[in-house]
Amino acid sequence: MRIVRRLEHWIRSRTHRGELEDELAFHRSMIEGNLIARGWTPDAARIAARRTMGNETLSREDARHVWVWWWLDALRQDAAYTVRSLRKSPGFTAAVVGTLALGLGANAAMFATVDRILFRAPPRLIEPATVHRVYLYRTSEGVEAERSGQYLRYTDLARWTSSFSQAAAVEERALPVGTGDATRELPIGIVSASFFELFDAPAALGRYFTPAEDTPPAGAAVAVLTDAAWKAQYGGRRDVIGAPISIGSTRFTVIGVAPPGFVGLWPERPPSAFIPVTAFGPMNGTNTSAWWSSYDHAIGISTIVRRKPGVTVAAATADLTTALRRSYEHQLDIEQPNGPWTLASLRPRAVVASILSERGPEASSFARVALWLSGVALIVLLIACANVANLLLARTLQRRREIAVRIALGVSRVRLTSQLVLEGVLLAILAGLAGIASATWTSSAMQRLFLPDDVAPRVLTDPRTTLFAIGVAVLVGIATGIVPALQIGRHSLTTDLKAGAREGTYQHARLRGALLVAQGALSVLLLVGAGLFVRSLRNVRHIPLGYDAKPVLVVDLNMRGVRLDSAHLASLNDRLLAASLGVRGVEHASLMKTVPFEGIESTALFVAGIDSVDRLGEFDLNGVSPDYFATMGTRILRGRGFQPSDGARSGPVMIVGASMARALWPRANPIGECVRLSAPDAPCTTVVGVAQDVHTHSVSDESGYYFYYLPASQVRPDYTGLFVRARNPTRVAPLLRSRLQAEMPGASYVTVRPLSDVVGDQERSWAVGAQAFSALGALALGMAALGLYSVIAYGVAQRKHELGVRMALGARPADITRLVVGESLRVAVLGLALGACVSLGAAHWIAPLLFQESPHDPVVFCVAGLVLVAAAIAASLLPARRAARIDPTTALQAG
Amino acid sequence: MPTAAELLPGTLDLIVLRTLVRGPMHGYGIAQRVKEISKDVLQVGESSLYPALQRLLLDGYVTAEWGASENNRRARFYTLTAAGRRQLASEREEFERVVGAIHAVLRFA
Repeated sequence: MRIVRRLEHWIRSRTHRGELEDELAFHRSMIEGNLIARGWTPDAARIAARRTMGNETLSREDARHVWVWWWLDALRQDAAYTVRSLRKSPGFTAAVVGTLALGLGANAAMFATVDRILFRAPPRLIEPATVHRVYLYRTSEGVEAERSGQYLRYTDLARWTSSFSQAAAVEERALPVGTGDATRELPIGIVSASFFELFDAPAALGRYFTPAEDTPPAGAAVAVLTDAAWKAQYGGRRDVIGAPISIGSTRFTVIGVAPPGFVGLWPERPPSAFIPVTAFGPMNGTNTSAWWSSYDHAIGISTIVRRKPGVTVAAATADLTTALRRSYEHQLDIEQPNGPWTLASLRPRAVVASILSERGPEASSFARVALWLSGVALIVLLIACANVANLLLARTLQRRREIAVRIALGVSRVRLTSQLVLEGVLLAILAGLAGIASATWTSSAMQRLFLPDDVAPRVLTDPRTTLFAIGVAVLVGIATGIVPALQIGRHSLTTDLKAGAREGTYQHARLRGALLVAQGALSVLLLVGAGLFVRSLRNVRHIPLGYDAKPVLVVDLNMRGVRLDSAHLASLNDRLLAASLGVRGVEHASLMKTVPFEGIESTALFVAGIDSVDRLGEFDLNGVSPDYFATMGTRILRGRGFQPSDGARSGPVMIVGASMARALWPRANPIGECVRLSAPDAPCTTVVGVAQDVHTHSVSDESGYYFYYLPASQVRPDYTGLFVRARNPTRVAPLLRSRLQAEMPGASYVTVRPLSDVVGDQERSWAVGAQAFSALGALALGMAALGLYSVIAYGVAQRKHELGVRMALGARPADITRLVVGESLRVAVLGLALGACVSLGAAHWIAPLLFQESPHDPVVFCVAGLVLVAAAIAASLLPARRAARIDPTTALQAG
Repeated sequence: MPTAAELLPGTLDLIVLRTLVRGPMHGYGIAQRVKEISKDVLQVGESSLYPALQRLLLDGYVTAEWGASENNRRARFYTLTAAGRRQLASEREEFERVVGAIHAVLRFA
C-alpha cells in the first residue's frame, strides 16, 4: 500500500508540491492574523510569522522526502545537471561517446560470437546440461583418432548402454532441394525419430515422424519443415501438409512444420527441413542395401545422448566405452578388416562431452582464435577507458573552480562523487547504445571471418548481448567516472577557490601520463600481434602449393541418384570436358578424381626392392586428363606429361611427385620404373614423368604425404568433376555452369566454385588473426593517438602562461615545438618499452597460432615501435604548432 | 513565559494522532491545540509538523482533504483513519510503558 501511495505521489508530484505550499501559506497567514488580532502591525506580524515558520523551503523539502527517497531525487537532479553540462560541451561528449562506442561495439560483437560458439545451448533443448555429444576414438598404427558415423555403431551404442534415457542420431548436411532450375543446396537436418523428444518443441502444424517411420533398411520419405523454411518457401500456407518436396535423390512428403525457433542443434546454420536418418541412409553410398547393417558404411551421423538422472558423466563415459568395445568386438567378428587389428590395439574409447561441439574434444581452432580476439577486444576497451578517463580528468580539472564553489555551497563530497560517477555512467550508457548499433555491423564482419556460412547473430535484438553491452557500459562508466572523483578528495577547497585554472593544475598530469603510457603499451601489444599474424599469413601464402589456385575453377558433379554405367559415365565426362573447352575464356580443362584438401583416393603400391611401400607414408592419387598439368600450372620436372595416346588400350603409365620419386628410388632415375597397383602381381605401371610436389593435405606441412597421377582414361571413371583454367574465372564461372548443366542427365546438376576458396579455407585461421588483429590494432592506435593529442593539447592550453614566460625569456618557436613534441615522445617511448616487455612475456601463448614466425620477431617489434612513435609525433604536432605560435605578450597579460 | 520544551523524540506522531481523535483538523489547528492543551509547554515546530503529517499520510494513518477553515479560508484538514486509531492505541501503550519505566527508575534507582 505504501508503495502505491508513493507512486501516486510521485506521478502527481507537481500537484503535491503546490498543495504543500498552499498549506504552509495558510498556516503562516493564520499566525499573522492571530498576531494582528493581538494588536501587531501587519508588517511586524508578517515578519514574525515568517520567523516562526522557520525555513519553509527546508520543511517543504523535508515533507517531500517523506515521499520520495532522497537518493532518487538526488539522482534525478544529478542526471539533469549532467545532461545539461554534457549538452554544453558537445565536442567532448561526442569524443567520449565515440571512443567508448567503438570499444563497446567490438566487445559486444565478440561476445555475440563467443557466446554463440561456446555458451549458448541450442534453443528449446530440454535440460541442456544432461544432453551430450558423443565422441568415439580408436587407435590405429599408434595414432588415436575420432571415428564415427556408422548407423550400426549408433544402434549398437543405443542398445548396449544403460546410462542414457534418450539417444538420437544427428547430422546436418547441405542437400539439393527442389527440382529443375529451382534446385538449390540447402542445409537439411538428418535425424532419428527420437531426436525431437530431446526438445520442448511440439510440432506447430502436422506432426513429427515416428520411430515406425524411421526404421532401416529404408525409412519413410517424410519431411518436417522448419518454421523459417515454411514461411519463406511456402508462404506459411497450412495446406503444405502432404505437399511433395525433393530432397537429395528422393521425393519426400511434408508431414509437419516445426515451431518457430526450433532449429535442431544448428542455430548457426538453421536447416530447412528434418528427414529421418533411415530415409537419408539409402541415398548415401554405393552399396545401398548394407548402409545400416555394416560397419563399413559411415554416413556421417553423430550420436547425441541424454544422461539418466543420477548418472554422472564419468559413469556414463565408462558405460559408453564398454558398449563401444562390445561394438568393435562385434565388428571384428563379422567383418574382415584389412590389417592386423585386435580389440587391444584398437583401444576403443568413448567420450561424452558438451552438446556444443566447440566445447568438445574435437573443437576447431576458431573457438581458440575467437577467445583470443575477445581478449584483444577487451584491450581495445581498456584503451578506450583510459582515454575517456583522461578526458574526464581534464574536464574535471577545468571545472575545479565550479566544483570548489559547489563544495563551498554545501554539496557533500559523496554527492559530488556520485555526480561525477553518474556522468561517467551516463556517457558510457550513451556509448553502449551507440556501441550496440555499431556492433551489429562489426559482428557481421566478425561473422564473415569466423563462420562464413552462417547467418550473422542479431546483436540488436538479442537480449543476452544487449544486456552484456549495457552491463559492461555501466561498469566502464563507474570505472572511468571514479578516476576524476578520486581527484576531488585531494583538493584543498581554499586554494582551488583562490587559484585560477592556472596554478597547480599541471602537476596532476602524472596520473594522466600513466594512463597514456598504459594506452601506448597496449597499442604496442596489439600492433605486435597484428604484425606477427600478418607475417604468418604471408609465410603461409609464400609456400608454393605446386599449383595455381587463382585461375582454376572446380566443377563438382552432383548426381542426385542418377546412376550411369562406366561407358555412359566416361562419355558424359568426355562431353563435359569438350563442352568446357568450348566456353569462351576457358584455357585448359581436365577431369579429376579429387580436389586438394577435400578428399583422397589411394590404392596399395608395390615396388620391387621395397618391402612395404605403405610404411614410407601415405600415397594418394588423382586420375587426370592430358591437359591437367597445364590446367593446374603444375610443372613436369622430368620425363613427360600425359598424352591423348595414353588410352585405355595402351600400356598403363603414371607420373609421380618429386618427393615420391626420391622416396621410392633415392638413387635411380625414376623414369621407366615399374610400379604395381593394388596387387603384387598386377601388370607394371610405368613411370613416365616426375611432377612438382603439391600440397593436398595442409598448406603448411605436407611431410609424409606423397602424390602421383594416373591418366583418367586408365582408371575407373568417376562422378567427381573437372578443373577448368580460365583467364577471368569470376566471369567465366556462370557461363561454364550453364553450359555444363545442359549436358547433365535427369535431376543431376553441376556447381562451379573457385579453387582459391578451397585454399582460402586452409589459410583462414591466419587470415582471421591477421585481419582482426590489424583492425583492432589500428583502432587501438587511433584511440591512443587521439588520447595523446587531447592530453597534449590540453597541457599546452594550461601552460600558456609558462610557455609565454619561456618565450619572453628568449625561447624560439622551435624550442617550444621540441618541448611539446618531446613530451609526447617520452610518453610513447615509455609505452613502447612497457608494451614490448608485455609482448615478449605474452609471446609463448601466441606462438602456437603462428606459422614459421618467431613471436620475438625483431622486424615486427621495430615496425610496431616506429608506428607508435610516428603516431605520437603526429598527435603532438598540431598542439606543438599552436604552442609555438603563442604570443608572449597576450599570454602574460592574460595570466 | 517559560520556554517551550523540546518534544521527546518519536512522540510527535503520537501527539498529532491523539489531537486528531477529536475530529478533522488542519495543520495550524493541530499546532495551536497542542500548545493550548499543554499550556504552552509543548510546541510543535512548523518545520517538523508538516513532514510528520506527510509521514502519517504515507503510512495511511490519516487522510487529507481540502475544506473551509473557521475563518472561511481554504485549508487542508486531516482525518484519523481506522489504521491511525490502531496505531495511536499501540503507540500510546508503548509510550506509557516507557514513561512508567522511566518513572520507576527515577524513583527507585
